[in-house]
Amino acid sequence: MAKLTFKSSLEYSEATFSWIVTAGIAVILLLSSYDLWTQAVRPSVLIIALVYLLFALLQLGLAWRIRNDIARSGAIRSSTRALGYIQLLSLFSGNLFITASALHLIKRDRNTEYTLAVYTLLTGLFVIAISALNLFKPYVADTFLPAISLLLITTGFHLISLLLVARFMKGRIAAPWLSPVAILLILTSVTGNLFALLLGINLLIKIRHNGKPATAKWEEVWGKLTRSTTSMIGLFFIVFLFSMAVCSYFTFDYAMATENNYSAILQHPSLAYPLGTDNFGRCLFTRIVFGARISLIVGFFSTLIPVVIGGALGAISGYYGRRTDNIIMRLLDVLYAIPGILLAIAIIAAFGANTFNLIIALSVGAIPTYARTMRANVLLVSTFEYVEAARALGTRDLLIIIKHIIPGSLAPMIVKSTLTIGAAVISTSSLSFLGLGVEPHIPEWGNILKLGSTYLESHSYLAIYPGLAIILLVLSFNFLGDGLRDALDPKLG
Amino acid sequence: MKKISLLALLLTFTLVASACTVKTKSEATEPAANEPSTETVTEAGPVNIELLGIASNESDLNIVRDQLVKNGFTVKLNIQPDYGSFKAQQDAGNYDIAHSGWTTVTGNPDYAVRSLFISGGDYSIQNDPEIDKLINQAATETPEQYKETYKQLEQRLVFDKAYIAPLYISLKSQAVNQDILNADTVRLSKSRALAWESIDFKDTSKRDSDPLILTQTASVLTSLDPIKGNDGSINQLNTNMYVRLINLTDDDQITSDGSLSFNHTIAEGNSEYYFLLRDDISFAKIDNKKAVDTGERVGADDVVFSLNRAKDKDSVPDHRTYSLHEHIKTVEIVTDVASLDSIQSASGGGSVKAALETGLDTGIKELVADKAQADSQAGKYQVIKLTTTEPFPQVLNYLAHQSAGIVSKKQVESINTYDVANFDVNKDIPYGDQNTVTEGAQYNNTLYASGPYILSHKNDYEGIFYKNPGYRKGSEHEPKISTVNVRFIADADSALSALRNSEIHLYYGVPETKYDIVKNDSKLKLQSIESNGVTYLLFNTKNREVASSEALRKAVLYSINQDDILAFYNNNKIKAVSTVSPLVDTGNELVADANKVKEYLNEYHNSK
Repeated sequence: MAKLTFKSSLEYSEATFSWIVTAGIAVILLLSSYDLWTQAVRPSVLIIALVYLLFALLQLGLAWRIRNDIARSGAIRSSTRALGYIQLLSLFSGNLFITASALHLIKRDRNTEYTLAVYTLLTGLFVIAISALNLFKPYVADTFLPAISLLLITTGFHLISLLLVARFMKGRIAAPWLSPVAILLILTSVTGNLFALLLGINLLIKIRHNGKPATAKWEEVWGKLTRSTTSMIGLFFIVFLFSMAVCSYFTFDYAMATENNYSAILQHPSLAYPLGTDNFGRCLFTRIVFGARISLIVGFFSTLIPVVIGGALGAISGYYGRRTDNIIMRLLDVLYAIPGILLAIAIIAAFGANTFNLIIALSVGAIPTYARTMRANVLLVSTFEYVEAARALGTRDLLIIIKHIIPGSLAPMIVKSTLTIGAAVISTSSLSFLGLGVEPHIPEWGNILKLGSTYLESHSYLAIYPGLAIILLVLSFNFLGDGLRDALDPKLG
Repeated sequence: MKKISLLALLLTFTLVASACTVKTKSEATEPAANEPSTETVTEAGPVNIELLGIASNESDLNIVRDQLVKNGFTVKLNIQPDYGSFKAQQDAGNYDIAHSGWTTVTGNPDYAVRSLFISGGDYSIQNDPEIDKLINQAATETPEQYKETYKQLEQRLVFDKAYIAPLYISLKSQAVNQDILNADTVRLSKSRALAWESIDFKDTSKRDSDPLILTQTASVLTSLDPIKGNDGSINQLNTNMYVRLINLTDDDQITSDGSLSFNHTIAEGNSEYYFLLRDDISFAKIDNKKAVDTGERVGADDVVFSLNRAKDKDSVPDHRTYSLHEHIKTVEIVTDVASLDSIQSASGGGSVKAALETGLDTGIKELVADKAQADSQAGKYQVIKLTTTEPFPQVLNYLAHQSAGIVSKKQVESINTYDVANFDVNKDIPYGDQNTVTEGAQYNNTLYASGPYILSHKNDYEGIFYKNPGYRKGSEHEPKISTVNVRFIADADSALSALRNSEIHLYYGVPETKYDIVKNDSKLKLQSIESNGVTYLLFNTKNREVASSEALRKAVLYSINQDDILAFYNNNKIKAVSTVSPLVDTGNELVADANKVKEYLNEYHNSK
């Protein structure tokens, strides 16, 4: 029985997850701290590795303690929770996993808002930390100082909100005077920090309904999602990248990413160039940061377009059936028969390579799969009684589709689209890699990877970092998609 | 709350502290912003330039784009995946500047400018009488004289008119697997294609058992008839399949070594050229996928036939090289020994006969018209006299080019029975058609090779060459290795990988970015030499702003900073001014000048 209890304890699973991940990172760092060729130890890497190892061990101990606590008394003792404050220090080593776990451990009765507030704060801190690396450069963008000050103020406010939420949110009841805070939070989301937006909206909803479960579905979905560590980490990385993409307009210098600097060609990673420079002397770090923008835009829009078009076509053919269904679906089958990437290459070759055409090229091929998913959902939903009732009342078809059918069949579409954004990011990069994407000097992850691939042997970091960025983004979307699927599925508890 | 205020205080402090030390971009670039006339340029708005190039030259395009952008241009890149699409775009005129390259395979400066810049030239889009005059003048001059003429030409072509903007001279480099090949036997020549006959294995006992494995990118061969192609797909192959009257040394001097002639000389007046032919080379053919000696000697009648068809535009359909040989007036067989005695050699020091006899065991006793009669041991020789349309010493360089390769008169006449004017590509099969050597139903190898090797058969993967059994048997020029495989590997990275795992033995044209990898591999030896290949930007001469505005062209020209390019290529490139730069040291140099760019841009804006 005890076993079951600690297994179902969120704190325990988070603690376990975070120590394993941290230990893994520590091992990777340890391995890379020793240079096999020169037989020398890299002290800086070694120190970071040891720090990670230390926190991993601490976290392991903590996980053990939580387990014992639960086994003994069925609850985590306050002294154990207090240890979370020590683990908070891991924030300085950039360890998201332990920090998130520690913040959750500290709070005894956590809720959706607390988790969102934690991630709001973490996102802000990470964006500031990454942007602050620019301080080591010979110069920074003109807007750097005001922008970073604003970010600091915003993050300070996010910290205050976290404390307020921790203090004044009890279960489902939010203190009414929190609404200005919520509105401010929504305003701060212009920095791209979508967690702040979510937190603000959540707060407003709770304040408005004052504990009454009027929007059970929304609350339930977010409740489930915030309890899943992997999907929150995925969402964190996406929001973090989005926020970076927005803030980089002001905190990063675009010229560093596009202008050649022949005096700094192929430099290894240093403080001024955290990820090194490429063969044109451009800062790889800045290029990857700016590259996120195109990857996210193309990924998002090339998913949104087929969702809307495919969704509409699927809804119409599913609702009307028979001939309409046959015509639409057979035409889409024709489209489906053409391999997606081939179609994209053909479109790019015909209309030229730029971001807009890239989005169109990647969208067209994805329409049939969305139409099929939507059609299947609509076929199911349109047999439900409430649809029949609406029909019996004489509601117009369009209204029935929009008001009753589409909301009921949207969940699988959302899950599917989060999963395919990842694929779209990869496709964008593949096309750029083949020289069919954006112009080669424009920072885009596929472009950067392509350039790096010719230096795999001598300067492997040129390919590894953009590759990692692509992997992480795709993985994040997949984690989020998985979490969403679980959260939206009524059968899962 | 106390904690928070403390934190806020700390943050403010760090911010203020950092604000004092952090330099912003405009502070860092302030001095540049204070320069005069910057504002006038920005006021007039950026100038649009469309830059056309091939994806494989992406790095160059990026450097040029970056330099133009930094000088206030707005650059639109038009990058085409391959040369065919690039050419189509160029022909359609969809560019302001096109990234172009030229390699002077003949090693003489006339070839480096004639077809590129003379009005009406094969590849020329220019029309400038002044340039025509200088090119024609230089052609008749000796190296000492033409140095000044080419200097004037560069002045006109680049600095005065800015028809081109030079980028760099490339290095020619090859990597040799020195565990397998004897690296000393692998030649690296400035202009001429790789000579295969000298290459030998480290372990000489493998000469007959193992093939020499080379590589080239193109698997579609333009034509194995030497006059029907002048491109990367066949230059090296045809050079090794057909012997020429003359050869170039590794540093582009004219030599008779390894050619069809014992000796050559120029008669007084620089219009008559004499060649004393060898009698120890026979044609080879392929029989049952084996090279056999036809017993037919390569002689004077073949030379006359080959050179006459080389200069005659209508000798074959789709003749690609006649413009190289347009200076040849007549080619004839000399049978009168006395006539050689009466003419003085241009170099001084005796008659033509004496010059031709230099170093021979047996002097010229008799000249014969029939090649079968020739016998150098007995003093019976064949002599070819070539007359040019005007005094033109550089003609010898053209005779060393693969397109002047000697083919069999008998064999080519028996294959090319079609009527040139009514040639039907679906029905008629010309000599050297690549389909006749490609494995499959159409295979019917009718090649007669006068050079050290002959192509037996090919597919998309490789071409197999065998040693010509009748090529200078027993001499040092007899081909060492019996079989040569030429692998067709389109991708440079794959070719380098193939070299590194010993799949191929020699890789010709290693990219600059891979030099380090080759140098760090102990079994590879990197050889490099300055090449005759020049890369430059060509301005459009039709329907574009750059065509009409000299000032705009000069603004682009002075934006080009060759130091940056050299830095990018790790100094594995050399500065250039024009396509003659590798051949003639004119002393000119292009220096990037941002102030001149502004000046010319202003001039351009004011003229609008």
